[in-house]
Amino acid sequence: MDSALRERVGQVLLPGDEFCCDTDGVISLSDTVRPEKVLCGPGLRRSGDRLLVCKSGVLRHKEPNVFWIDSQQWRYVPVKGETVIGVVAAKSGDVFKVDFGGSEQASLTYLSFEGATKRNRPNVQVGDLVFAQFIVANKDMEPELTCMDSSGRANGMGVFGGGGLLFRVSLGLVRRLLSPGSELRSDLEKLLPCELVVGMNGRVWTRAADVQKTLVLANLLQSCDTMSCSQRRQLFSRVRQGAL
Amino acid sequence: MEACNTSDVTLRAFGCEHNLLSRPDGSASFVQGDTSVYAAVYGPAEVKVSKEIYDRATLEVLIQPKVGLPSVRERSQEQCVRETCEASLLLSLHPRSSLTLVLQVLHDDGSLLSCFLNAACMALMDAGLPMSCLFCGVTCAISADGQIITDPTAAQEKESRALMTFAVDSRERKVLMSTTKGSFSVHELQQCIAVSQKASEKMFQFYRDSVKRRYSKNL
Amino acid sequence: MKETPLSNCERDFLLKAIEEKKRLDGRQTYDYRKIKIKFGTDYGCCFVDLGLTRVMAQVSGELVAPKESRPNEGIMFFNIELSPMAAPTFEQGRQSELSVKLNRQLERCLRNSKCIDTESLCVVSGEKVWQIRVDVHMLNHDGNLMDAASIAAITALCHFRRPDVSIQGDEVTVYSPEERDPIPLSIYHMPISVSFSFFQQGTYLLVDPCEREERVMDGLLMIAMNKHREICSIQSSGGIMLLKEQVMRCSKIASVKVSEITELVVKALENDKKARKAGEKCGFAESLPQERITALKVGKTPVEVMDVTEQANDIVQKAESCSLTVHTRVPSPLVPVPGVGQVGQGQQTTWGLEEEEEEEEEEEEVDEEEESDNSSEQDKKVTKMEEEDSRGDVVEISDSEEEEVVILHPETADKALKNTGSSFHQKGAAPSKQKRKK
Repeated sequence: MDSALRERVGQVLLPGDEFCCDTDGVISLSDTVRPEKVLCGPGLRRSGDRLLVCKSGVLRHKEPNVFWIDSQQWRYVPVKGETVIGVVAAKSGDVFKVDFGGSEQASLTYLSFEGATKRNRPNVQVGDLVFAQFIVANKDMEPELTCMDSSGRANGMGVFGGGGLLFRVSLGLVRRLLSPGSELRSDLEKLLPCELVVGMNGRVWTRAADVQKTLVLANLLQSCDTMSCSQRRQLFSRVRQGAL
Repeated sequence: MEACNTSDVTLRAFGCEHNLLSRPDGSASFVQGDTSVYAAVYGPAEVKVSKEIYDRATLEVLIQPKVGLPSVRERSQEQCVRETCEASLLLSLHPRSSLTLVLQVLHDDGSLLSCFLNAACMALMDAGLPMSCLFCGVTCAISADGQIITDPTAAQEKESRALMTFAVDSRERKVLMSTTKGSFSVHELQQCIAVSQKASEKMFQFYRDSVKRRYSKNL
Repeated sequence: MKETPLSNCERDFLLKAIEEKKRLDGRQTYDYRKIKIKFGTDYGCCFVDLGLTRVMAQVSGELVAPKESRPNEGIMFFNIELSPMAAPTFEQGRQSELSVKLNRQLERCLRNSKCIDTESLCVVSGEKVWQIRVDVHMLNHDGNLMDAASIAAITALCHFRRPDVSIQGDEVTVYSPEERDPIPLSIYHMPISVSFSFFQQGTYLLVDPCEREERVMDGLLMIAMNKHREICSIQSSGGIMLLKEQVMRCSKIASVKVSEITELVVKALENDKKARKAGEKCGFAESLPQERITALKVGKTPVEVMDVTEQANDIVQKAESCSLTVHTRVPSPLVPVPGVGQVGQGQQTTWGLEEEEEEEEEEEEVDEEEESDNSSEQDKKVTKMEEEDSRGDVVEISDSEEEEVVILHPETADKALKNTGSSFHQKGAAPSKQKRKK
């Protein structure tokens, strides 16, 4: 299966495409047969002894044996451990209800902020932006967010967002922005000094020196969704020369 | 048993566009000849308590006619599309959520239901919803003299003796849904199914090509 | 579905940007987004893109009786559908506040401004007039639905052609487009709505607000005007106090915008007319943007049907060989002759009386049938009683009789087999089978 998958890395696959376990019919007696292990990411599912593609997109591979489908999608489905930008939608008792663009609102207790105690409640208003991480994300349970890492530190999370702009891009673009050594990010950095908060749920917050620059940045990023690398470089160089 | 004449077996020019509306999570337009349809998908999103299903997503299909309000005809088409989508979507992966598929008629020049199905499949794929297989719709008409016409125009539909629409799945080319009108023999039915399965090959190849084109900048 | 809440951060930023005369998409304060007008395949169908907002209008006409108060005037009917396609918060078939507001505004803009000659729509005074129906469908909501809807509606009305009609004595003949060329409506002027949104109690003003701007605005002013600078309707909502000068300024801006948009509409109509005259393909299928990677179109495709006949034959033969064995055990399901309807528990009734008179034979048979039906009905009543006695709490109201016939009790099958001789007898047998079973 591993080799069949490797063969098609970088190709576009559609739901319904399958990979079979290729047992060649010959079992070697001398070699110890190590069972193949494949780690399936989003868009790949096991059904029986087959691997089923259930989303359309490009098959990607990461050594040693991780495979997933890279698709352009707008709707976010929570995954444990991912960080998202949420909007506080309501306060009810000890928990905040946070809208993160998924199928239901996530809960965030006031104790899950750095330094918060029962006496010392964090200052969070309805409508505030929070950068938070999922600690519970299960299809059968209400998602739960936290603004602390395992050692009780904020680690960049919490309430934020004075003076910047929030906008939506596709989840595919977010992953491109966040991938280590992303060209897009380094291009942006060269173009304009800015603050950037990227949530896995497709929400991006940015703040540059002034309103005009922030708007330029937001529009640039939104247009990157439908551009190839070379087109993007052209656009960026034009912006560097003229538009600003 | 007389063999049907199958000379006029062509699909009209067809095309699609993905992701053309900004608000929905997935959208597509599908054009077959002059028949054209918009499809938009929202979801997995919040579900009304009354419609919540504890172990799978609630799929709602809405068909908007071009003139007037939805009537019985639209309702029955909605049901055909919904049942087909339910068969191919992996709804159990998003329990207690809602999926809404809205279909808007832009122009009806025959084979409307198959156009609905094709647009729906494209939009579901665009929304990135988990599917076990793709599906496509093929409409066959049997004319008064027993000829099978695939993808008929409105005029051809009117003159036909029988009209059938099939949804075919992409994995085993099985029939997911069928709806028929008029009278025909068992043999004609089987022949139409066989023709539809053949036509579906073209459709699925087109699906693949269009998705490939769409991702051509991400390769 | 609930709307995603607007964050404080977005609100603050938008207001700050507006103060600095900046807009999200880089427009100036008085700029419209890009307007694109396309036409459908048939007459009276128009698509309008206003930036990302997309709207479709379809005009249709039918002959109806006029209103009693106005026997010489045709009827105009407007309907704006807020389809859930446009935004997740819109619900199908529910009158929301927004849809009422938009419908009312469109009516005021197009009907009350008397831009269409309704008297020319009269066919026979007091008896037959044309009802012109305008359906506007929202396809994508990115703000300023009203302006898009008004442009789409008036363009579609200009584009529409109604069938030609002739009157000879009392007879009204409607001609199909092949027989006589359809006739355009007579339109006096083209009112177009222009929306202004106000921020911070009217301090700042924007033309053509997008969705996010609409969400932070304090008030909205809609002015419908034609190119002769006549105001057709004016409406302010949101509860802000506007000064006289502000309204005057808005109407001046509106007159400029309206003349620009009218020009665009006229040009689009002309282009379409030329294309139609030249016999070019027009309509939605042609407007698919081929240059985008998200769109793909293929030409007419033949389907290989070499082995289809054999394949079908195979399946049918296989099925027949199976069904032969089945036939010996299970009685074939009843198929009523044409004209015989089936209601409820398999009772046969003839819908058409004429058929009984047509053929004596049939009549006899029908009589027989009715007799047996009557008797079986009585039987059934009895059996129902028995059933209720025996299985007190089980009450069957099922109307699918077939299911009941097939199950259990082999004697029923035997009985049915004896009756398979004539199809009519078989029908009579169905209820009696039921009796047996119960």
